[in-house]
Amino acid sequence: MIRDWRFAALLTAAILVIATFARPELALPRNVYRYMFVLDITQSMNARDYHAEGLPAERLGYAKEALRRVLHDLPCGSEAGLGLFTTQSVQFLFEPIEICEHFSVIDDVLAHIDWRMAWAGNSFVTQGLYAALRDVANRDPGIRLAFFTDGQETPPQTLRPNFNGKPGEIRGLIVGVGGTRPTAVPRYDRDNRLLGNWENADIEPMPVSTTDYSEKVEAQVLPREGVYLSWLDEAHLRELSATTGLDYHRLEDPARLSERLRDAEFAERRAAKTDLRPLLGLAALLLLLSVYGSETGLRQRSR
Amino acid sequence: MTLGFAEPWALLLIALAVLPWLKSGQRALAYSSLALIPADPLSVLLDRLLRLAGAAALLCLALAIAGPYLREQWVERIGTGAHIVLLLDRSSSMNENFTGKYLGARPHESKSAVARKLLSEFVARREHDLFAMVDFSAAPIYVLPLTQDRQAVQAAIAAAGGRGHGVTHIAPGLAMALDFFTGRPLTGSRIILLVSDGAARIDDETRDRLRQWFQETQSSLYWIYLRNPRGGRLSEKPANPNESTTPEYFLHQYFQTLGVPYRAFEADNPEAMQGAIAEVERLENLPLRYLEKLPRREMSTWCYGVALFFLLPLIAAKAMEVNSWAR
Repeated sequence: MIRDWRFAALLTAAILVIATFARPELALPRNVYRYMFVLDITQSMNARDYHAEGLPAERLGYAKEALRRVLHDLPCGSEAGLGLFTTQSVQFLFEPIEICEHFSVIDDVLAHIDWRMAWAGNSFVTQGLYAALRDVANRDPGIRLAFFTDGQETPPQTLRPNFNGKPGEIRGLIVGVGGTRPTAVPRYDRDNRLLGNWENADIEPMPVSTTDYSEKVEAQVLPREGVYLSWLDEAHLRELSATTGLDYHRLEDPARLSERLRDAEFAERRAAKTDLRPLLGLAALLLLLSVYGSETGLRQRSR
Repeated sequence: MTLGFAEPWALLLIALAVLPWLKSGQRALAYSSLALIPADPLSVLLDRLLRLAGAAALLCLALAIAGPYLREQWVERIGTGAHIVLLLDRSSSMNENFTGKYLGARPHESKSAVARKLLSEFVARREHDLFAMVDFSAAPIYVLPLTQDRQAVQAAIAAAGGRGHGVTHIAPGLAMALDFFTGRPLTGSRIILLVSDGAARIDDETRDRLRQWFQETQSSLYWIYLRNPRGGRLSEKPANPNESTTPEYFLHQYFQTLGVPYRAFEADNPEAMQGAIAEVERLENLPLRYLEKLPRREMSTWCYGVALFFLLPLIAAKAMEVNSWAR
């Protein structure tokens, strides 16, 4: 006797459900990301030249908020570390840790990043970037670097340090923060009270150096008076990007940054155990549906 | 809410559970006149039950696919331990080894490397403690909030391996460390574990303020002083006392006036530092209220089980179904 096919469907569904009790898993490769995010916390990052609704106007605040959204968007299993840049060096706060499990800690630390953590006031972006690359290479060259800066050397540099690393050894992104229009840089005291704007007279020019290990560059000379102006120095950052092999991205929209950072070229394939039970369950569900879904036929035939 | 779903979209499939009420799922058989058959309450009941089982099976499967789980929960427990703020000196002198020589070639012996290794072991051993971390050199840096997240603490200790920068500015670091405790209920002993290789002058006004904060928050202070063997001892009055050449001595004097438990450990070699950390461990084992995280509990197995429970009568009924009148 040939039984109704529905019987077979129901039986198979039941077998699939029973199979879920064995908790089958499959190791599937998945794209994850491992980033060290380094934020420039020099005072030019306090310049307010972002004008997007619902987002901070200061460069640092905007970068932090953008980074926060990036952390939300990165898939679980990805790792993020945080670091600070000021003067000519970087300091990592913590090495990359998994973002979903540790989100609350990462988010809290990110929220506390503040220009007042700077251990000195100058901003030698080139040296800072090279230091970050060196530090990442010493820890694990597989970590991607995302370096957020407005690219402005303060005071203007008279020398260009040589890059000793291998271009392209560390992959990642230089994220240009700020606008290209010159903007005044607010000056605060240690309690974050606004004192006014930075004046050119406040900024000491670089001492003239005679060492020959680095290339001399034509220093831009600041006028001795007037308000100190800061802008996103894209030309400089593109040059750094060419030297170091990092890509350049201008931060104009957190969503675009997030997309860029999730680019496949920065991804790492890692086998992650995937639970197969939903698949079995779905198959069982479809079989059960087919039992009800197919019209029972007779009425149509009789018509 | 404590219930979560791994694949919330699958909840939409629940709507499919109405299907068994619309369709019977059985093969229709031709019968000459349905009107001849008397109403049979048992058949009606059986039909309803089978439809119910079908709907329930669909519902359970949809739920199971959505992957319901009970979120991880924090349960308060009482154990022994403390709230510890690690206050780490990141000034450039921490790159030196214990004899005061700058170490380019053997970084594993630098003060900072020794301190990191021992701190990491310390954190690993202190199961129930909460840790926060502040780095300081010229300015204090907020590294981690008070947390039980061991991996994050270890990642932060590992990250402190980079080159240090600048000078030692101790007072703002202490202020930031104390800030973790300010205005929070006292739920265990509070420790500030200062690891530094030097000191700096603190002005009188700041001294008074720090003293007040220490007392208000009832925090203890442990100072692991990584002494340069040629450097001054904390307890010996230097030959010509002067706050700019031997600030350690004066800082030690000041700490003793804080009015809260204070211990200083001089460590001029890695073994001494290990001893100092062991001492802190021995001292700080007071009752502590801490939260323990219960991992998320998977619920979909239950749903699959119930789905199976409803599938079985459907299969049984299907097996007994009449396929044709002519046998």
